[in-house]
Amino acid sequence: MADENATENGASETAHLYEGKKVSSAPPSRKKAAGRMKSSTDIPEDAIPEVHVPTIIESFFGGPIVNTTKFLPPDRMVASLQMGSAGVLMVLSLLTFMVTPVSGTAWFALSNMLGMQTFGGVLHLLIIVGGLIGGLYGIFQRDQRALIVSYALLIIVTLRFAGSKVDFGISFLPEEEIYQKMLLLLYAVFLVMYMELTSGIIRFSMLDTSIRTGEVYVMQVTKITSRYHRSLLITPAIASSVAGLTLLINLIIPAFVGLFDDVSAQRLSESVELTSVYGVALGTVMVFTVIAAMFAVNLPLRIQQMRERNA
Amino acid sequence: MAWSRKSAMFAALAIAMYLLGLVLRNSQLVTVAVVLLSFLTWAAFRTSHADVASSGRRVDDADADEGIQLHSISALRRISSARIFEDGEIDVTLRIQNRSNLSKVLEVRDRVPEVMRIKKGANYVLMELGPQRETEISYTIETPLRGFYTVGPVCIRVQDAFGLFHNEREIHLYDDFLVFPKMEDIKDAMIKSRVPKIFTGAVNIRNPGEGSNFYNLREYIPGDPMKKVNWNATARSAGKMMVNEYERDAVSDIILIVDSRKISETGPVSRNSLVYSTRAAASLSQYFLARRDSVGLVTYGDEIVSVDRDTGKKQLYVLLTKLAGAMAKGNTPLKVVTDRIMPHINRGSPVIIMSPLEDDSTVVSAVRDLRSRNFDVTVLSPSSLEFEFDARRLDRTGYEVLKTERDILLSELRGLGANVMDWEPDMLLNTALAGARGF
Repeated sequence: MADENATENGASETAHLYEGKKVSSAPPSRKKAAGRMKSSTDIPEDAIPEVHVPTIIESFFGGPIVNTTKFLPPDRMVASLQMGSAGVLMVLSLLTFMVTPVSGTAWFALSNMLGMQTFGGVLHLLIIVGGLIGGLYGIFQRDQRALIVSYALLIIVTLRFAGSKVDFGISFLPEEEIYQKMLLLLYAVFLVMYMELTSGIIRFSMLDTSIRTGEVYVMQVTKITSRYHRSLLITPAIASSVAGLTLLINLIIPAFVGLFDDVSAQRLSESVELTSVYGVALGTVMVFTVIAAMFAVNLPLRIQQMRERNA
Repeated sequence: MAWSRKSAMFAALAIAMYLLGLVLRNSQLVTVAVVLLSFLTWAAFRTSHADVASSGRRVDDADADEGIQLHSISALRRISSARIFEDGEIDVTLRIQNRSNLSKVLEVRDRVPEVMRIKKGANYVLMELGPQRETEISYTIETPLRGFYTVGPVCIRVQDAFGLFHNEREIHLYDDFLVFPKMEDIKDAMIKSRVPKIFTGAVNIRNPGEGSNFYNLREYIPGDPMKKVNWNATARSAGKMMVNEYERDAVSDIILIVDSRKISETGPVSRNSLVYSTRAAASLSQYFLARRDSVGLVTYGDEIVSVDRDTGKKQLYVLLTKLAGAMAKGNTPLKVVTDRIMPHINRGSPVIIMSPLEDDSTVVSAVRDLRSRNFDVTVLSPSSLEFEFDARRLDRTGYEVLKTERDILLSELRGLGANVMDWEPDMLLNTALAGARGF
């Protein structure tokens, strides 16, 4: 009877005892060896400790980039993050397809050289689909390698020489600058949120595994998770507002100058530099100078002190 | 405020995308970079709220030289025992108090020595602590190895919801505890002094005197107390009055010598010569002190540390404390130790040496000197070879050669009249002692 259930490794399968579940009864070789080992017995393989020598990249970043922890099955929080990430990824893929034209990309230039113009478009689409599939696999398998590939593909697809003009992949999208920038902003926010949500999946999976193995104890789990959920709503809103100010600087500066001089304002609004990416660069400098000033005057601390006093 | 690896990667990605976007004049890349930078900035702003200024110090605590502060959090720890034996358990209770008017999400880690195992509870807790509230964390640690240990400091971390930035503070709260070597119950050490002290003790020494065990019959001498007269023997001895003589009960000076040279730690952390020697010394100390003997201890490694002979329970704790702190260091020869201590101990006193007897060419001459001065020498030698061989760090041929050398050395010591036992790892101390005395 025992022999009937023995596997090729000598392990007994006990599927018939555990409602069809395959439970291997073979112990690890170390346990197997216990009590039987003689001085002439070879060293069991699992008795030799594995020594991990960090790679150059790991040394540079101070640890492994990809997490190798074996996670337990996802809990409710992780599962909801997975569903959320998958939804964000779908929308992001669609937005990427909409806002990234094939013209100006390296593969477009290559396909033109080869005389197969449709090949560039197909390759462009394949990169987006690759990012989508890699992302979905990474999300549900909680595989950081697949997620990194997905991030890379979704960023690579935007790499093109654009010549300062905002172009979209679909022609029927709005022509007005403000709508174009809003669409771009939406795309950027979804890309950042996709990156955050997927890293959240790994982070909460690690936390959940640590909780379930008793390594970490969490008091009031719901409060901590609800804080994360709240931040997922507030942070993108704030970030997109700040980024909006930066991107719309070519409208804000002429409007401000217009209070004093209409002609100069008109000239500024028609300035090529201000409407190009260099205008965005100027906006970035201005907005982030204000932010830096806030930090320099210890504004976070003063807000904190005020909150403490008023609490 | 410290950056996490994630925030560093996000920042690097944002800057790269931003610069690439400017070079390629690509609005998509620039937009993503700006959103990413805004995201990071907001997270940094929120984390800075957590009590810390951008300079890393609160304005009102700027003179405190602690770096990043989380001053409204305080901690108090209580441990169930400051002295414990190996394989014991210590209950730790950590009370965390939030004196701020705002609630905080904290990660609290109470640092536990690496060799300790958390048996129950967790020393790493993630919690939200309300304003003016306090909470208690409890956990139990197992103490597998002797030594001096410290629990603490308490590390407190506040981080933003996305894990991008964090502030950390170490509350310098430390609790020391001592793990004594495990003791084995010894029934009989079979070691008696040939030069008992004048005080009465619990050991009968096969000399007539005041005691409880019968020794001999002799003829009555004027002055003998009448209670000692054995009337039955007197009746049988044709008119001679016979009295009972008793064995003299006395105390002895026992000297324990523990080898704590670097080589004595050869083998796995929990199974090496020093671990066995300290456990044996602790067990013997307890046994001899319970017998009202006077016990002294010498440990030698990089220096010679000695505890003067004394009796009583207090002496047991003094000896256990010394044994708990014995570190494997240095390579002082045994001869130096014996030369140093011999003038201070009574000739004929039992000397018990616990040593792997390796890497010391003076062992034979040291034992010879002790024997020539009539000391009762017992050598308990936990074999490092066995530990190494069991741990698979020594091959068969090497083991055989070294074992032969060791056997020759042990035979030589036996030839000098010392009681020697090659103490194998799985042998109980009682058995080893009996073996050393030839039983």
